[in-house]
Amino acid sequence: MTFIQTILNILLLPGLAFTLIASIWLAGVDRVLVARMQRRVGPSLLQPLYDVLKCLGKETIIPRKANEKVFLLAPVVGLASVLVTAMFLPVGGVSALKVNSDMVVILYLLTLASVTLIVGASASGSPFAGVGLSREMVAMISYELPLVLVMLTVGRVCGKGLATFSLSTVTAYQAANGPLLLNPVLWPAAIAMLFVIPCEVGQHPFDIDEAETEICEGVLAEYSGRPLAQFKMMHNVKMYVMSGLFCAMFLNISTGFILADILIYCVACTLVTFVSMSVPHAVTARFRVEQVFKFYWTVVTGCAALSLILVWIGL
Amino acid sequence: MENFPILAIMTLFMGAFINSLAGRRSYKARCAIVFTTMAISLILVLAMVPSVMGGGEIVCYWMGGWAPEADWAYGIGLEVDALSLFFGLIVTIAVMISGVYSFTYMKHDDSQVNFYTLFLMLAGSVLGLVLSGDLFNIFVMVEIMTFTAVALTAFRNDTEGALEGAFKYLVVGSLGSMSILVGTILIYACLHTLNLAQIAQMAIHARNPVMVIAFGFLFVGFCTKAFMFPFQPLAADAHAVAPASISMMISGVLTKCGVYGLIRLVYVLFQNIGQTHVQYLVTGMGCVTMFICVTMAFNQHNFKRLLAFHSISQVGYVVTALGLGTALGLSAGLYHAINHTLFKGLLFLVAGAVQHQTGTLDLDELGGLSKKMPRTTALFLIGAASISGIPPFNGFASKWMIYQAAFSKAVNTDNFFYLLVCGVALITSVLTLASFVKVAQSAFFGQCSVLCRDAEDCEKGMLVPMSVLAVLCVVLGLIPDQFGTLFLKPAAGAAMDPGVYISAMLRGADATVMPAIYGYVGAWNPVFFIVLLLIVTVGVTIYSVSAPLRRPEPLAEGDVEDEHVLPENAKYEPFFSGEESVHSHVGGSDLFWGFKENWKKYFSFWHDWHSGIVNDYELYGVVFLAAALIYCMLFV
Repeated sequence: MTFIQTILNILLLPGLAFTLIASIWLAGVDRVLVARMQRRVGPSLLQPLYDVLKCLGKETIIPRKANEKVFLLAPVVGLASVLVTAMFLPVGGVSALKVNSDMVVILYLLTLASVTLIVGASASGSPFAGVGLSREMVAMISYELPLVLVMLTVGRVCGKGLATFSLSTVTAYQAANGPLLLNPVLWPAAIAMLFVIPCEVGQHPFDIDEAETEICEGVLAEYSGRPLAQFKMMHNVKMYVMSGLFCAMFLNISTGFILADILIYCVACTLVTFVSMSVPHAVTARFRVEQVFKFYWTVVTGCAALSLILVWIGL
Repeated sequence: MENFPILAIMTLFMGAFINSLAGRRSYKARCAIVFTTMAISLILVLAMVPSVMGGGEIVCYWMGGWAPEADWAYGIGLEVDALSLFFGLIVTIAVMISGVYSFTYMKHDDSQVNFYTLFLMLAGSVLGLVLSGDLFNIFVMVEIMTFTAVALTAFRNDTEGALEGAFKYLVVGSLGSMSILVGTILIYACLHTLNLAQIAQMAIHARNPVMVIAFGFLFVGFCTKAFMFPFQPLAADAHAVAPASISMMISGVLTKCGVYGLIRLVYVLFQNIGQTHVQYLVTGMGCVTMFICVTMAFNQHNFKRLLAFHSISQVGYVVTALGLGTALGLSAGLYHAINHTLFKGLLFLVAGAVQHQTGTLDLDELGGLSKKMPRTTALFLIGAASISGIPPFNGFASKWMIYQAAFSKAVNTDNFFYLLVCGVALITSVLTLASFVKVAQSAFFGQCSVLCRDAEDCEKGMLVPMSVLAVLCVVLGLIPDQFGTLFLKPAAGAAMDPGVYISAMLRGADATVMPAIYGYVGAWNPVFFIVLLLIVTVGVTIYSVSAPLRRPEPLAEGDVEDEHVLPENAKYEPFFSGEESVHSHVGGSDLFWGFKENWKKYFSFWHDWHSGIVNDYELYGVVFLAAALIYCMLFV
């Protein structure tokens, strides 16, 4: 019974099907919201799905300079790793997979996703992709430190004197004591996390690695057809994963009814997407590479470190 | 059984002499002699594994039968406990692989007899060091090790910088040897014994300034042998010119001797790892080393220099972990030590293969090797993924244990310092990944450069040793639990419980030890494997339904792929500097402009610091020695 339930969990509710639907929904909502904020009509809500489907039907062109195996395998591993990451997110208190240290696993799987983007770009042999991957790497160095600090802070708060790296402990703590966002000491950490989200996903003001106008889509310059669809889908799923991670860490509201919890979770995810991705997208222009780095290692890391220190000295 | 340690060491030394006598005749005779001696020594060490690792037995051997008289050790003893054997295993396995690789790699060099003689002496001295139970013996072995390593570094003395690198190593390395000697003398003056077990028994009761100074000297000496900060420039200069198999020995084996010395020193000899200030000293050294070296590696454009800095950075991880003074920390350190030998050895051998096939190590001149050397590229990717800590390879398993050890230490002691350690370790990991992305992009992917046009995969004789290392990297990453129970737990336990070490050597002498703080904590959850499995299945499913591909049409007759020669630093010029006439200070091999731009001052400071002048390096060493002694006098 439990085995069947696990399989169902993995395939349906907190797992694959839910992840795919949620990520298409979030990506669509994001685009519509950005359009409305910019006084445009905007695409339909399902546009991300149409994009992916269209790419799936197209021919895959392999550049002459590319290393074919790595070029094709990278997007597959990338998509797989973000999908697996989604399995660890608790939806309404239930997650498809549980390990005692899932926050670190999530951290590593997200890193793996970025690495596949880098390796794939590298294998394509294009100089545009080369510049793109170097920017992606700089972005990665930028957001990794604050992300780790935020995780340490949350783990410290929820670990009851000890510390925890387990998301289920974090959600259980919030079910008992209310969402962490109500704790003013954690506001700087939450702000830092809100800034980490768009950079990790590669959303507009921080999409230095793709920058169409400068380096022709950068990392994705040579991709077409099915691998491109996989990378696009990876981007969408990452949006959901990061929003979901924020909700699990700061905004877990538990009513006792699973359906209500799931509904609240979906609304919360959408809200996080709006605040952290759509608004910056609509109101700012793209950052330069060194600005991104500087911003993250000073402002964002500062916020995260402030919370960590406050928590550590026992406030 | 009690003869095994001395036989394992003697075989290697005897092999060196036999080789210099009989190895001149032919290539085959030489290979046979070297291979046989390495194999015998490996088998002898492996034969001790079941009883020492499994049974907790300690093998003691007294040279010439000079057993201790009235609980006082006069003779020279060899003592193999699980910790020694753990390092013995690292040494013999690395020697075996490096030796086999050399058969093909060094085939075209002259005076190979000298090479293998020195190589076997190096191997013998390192094995002697880790199996020895006598402090002066350790010093002798350190001397043999340093001099053979210096000679081997300069072996290709027709290459630029070979003699220079070896000379720096010799001069500054002798500072380390001197420190170890002075420490030994001071201990002998205080305690009138050189036997490790007896020193361990007496040192805990003899807390006087001279012993503290002796501790400082020994600490600095072993730090030098591990190339810890501020000795890392030596490693970089030596690695860049040494033959690849020797680079593997220096990074995988010689630095491990320094690490072994540190563990023996703080856990067994002085048993002072329980003190907070010793923990600060060791962990702090590790942290500083790993961070500075990884940022230095970031800027290199010589493949092996880059690897050299990474090597020291990873040793920094090991030292950080063992400085925590907890069972989990020490186990994590030991685990990372063996993993480091494997993946770093693999990467150095890959660099050797690249140099062997293309004739250069300059990342600016390499490019597009993945199409010419597919197998080497695959091996490189495994090594790079391991060192960057990407699951499921071994580097991930041990690094994750290190984070966990540092974090639990921070939580248990409520000390912010260890949290900082945890953060530095994580950032170092990302920077490691970044610089390997740079290598992958510059050398293996991207456009094919002129030098690489005719490159092809190297011979089997080089591919097989590399593949063995790659397989070990994957296997050790997949079975951390089993490996932990079989090897790490006994080895860490041996270091954590010096009483057993003392009483085994001195037969029932009363052993006063620090309280046992040993408790191995499983740091891994098997559910993770289900996740891995899932990744693979999902991946394969998506992959197998892939649409048909359009491959590039074959080149027409007479068409040649990109013939034009790229001027120096031109690979990324247009993207970083705009117009050609605009001056660009960003070198072509530097991919991470945004990062470097923000850290300009930091990088230029360290650039000037690495002056390349041996006087400066010696000065840093002396300053470091003085600082360490002052720290020891004040706090330890």
